[in-house]
Amino acid sequence: MKRGKHQEILAEKLQRKVAPEARQLRKQAGDWLKQRRADAGLSQIDLAARLGLKYYTFISQVENGFSRVPTEIMAAWAAELGLEPAAFAKHLLLYYEPELHRLLFGAKK
Amino acid sequence: MSVVAFERKPSAGLWSETELNTLVAALNIAVAPDDGRGWETGVTEAGDAQFYLLGPLPDQACELCVSRIGGRYILEDGSGRLLFEHQSLALVALHARAAVRSKHGWLVARAVLLWCTIRHMIHDKVEPLLTEGEELFVELAPQLAAFA
Repeated sequence: MKRGKHQEILAEKLQRKVAPEARQLRKQAGDWLKQRRADAGLSQIDLAARLGLKYYTFISQVENGFSRVPTEIMAAWAAELGLEPAAFAKHLLLYYEPELHRLLFGAKK
Repeated sequence: MSVVAFERKPSAGLWSETELNTLVAALNIAVAPDDGRGWETGVTEAGDAQFYLLGPLPDQACELCVSRIGGRYILEDGSGRLLFEHQSLALVALHARAAVRSKHGWLVARAVLLWCTIRHMIHDKVEPLLTEGEELFVELAPQLAAFA
C-alpha cells in the first residue's frame, strides 16, 4: 500500500525525533558506565585488559556513546565493575531499549 | 640553507587534516547525510584519536571505528571486533572500505535470498491453489451454464 504524503512527513518527523533520543540515551549510558568504572578505580586500559580485549579502544567507543555493551560480555563487564550482572543489564536496558524496559519493568520512560 | 618542513607524524591527540581526508575519502561510499549516515571523531580517556563511522537513522550506531594508538591504526567494528591493525592509515582505510562494501554486499545477498524465498513460497503454496481453483471452475462452469 502506498503511503500518503502526510504519512511520509509524519514518519520523517518521528524519525528525526527518535534519532537524537537514541544517541542521547546511548551517551547517557556511556557516562554512567564511565562513572561506574571510575568508582571501581579502573582505567579504560585496565578494564579492557580484564575483559581480554587486545585494545582498550572499544571501551572508549562504548563510553563515548557510539556503541552498546555487547550482550555476550555484559556479565563480565558488570563483574569487573563490581556490579550484579542482572542489575547492570537492567540498568543498561533503560538506555538501550527504553520501551522494552518500560514493558518489562513498568518503570518510568 | 633551506629547511624542508616534513609533516610531523601525529602520535596522540586529534586527527590531522591529512588523516581525516584519507578516512573520509575511503569511506565516502558509506556516508549519506539524508538517512543519517555520517562520521564523527572523538578521543579516548588517554587522548588517542578515534573516528566513528555511523549507521543510518534512527540509531546512528557506530558501524566501524578507527583508532590511533601510538602511531598504530586500529580498525574495529561496532561490536568491538578487531578487523585490522597497521601503521599505514592508507592500508587501514582500504580495509575499512572493504568492510563497508562487504556489509552492503551482505545486505544485497539477504535481499536476494528473501526474494527467492518469497518466490519459492508463491510457487509452492499459491500456485497450486490457483490451479485448483481454475480446475474447479472448468469443472463447474458447464453445470453453472446449464442452470443459467
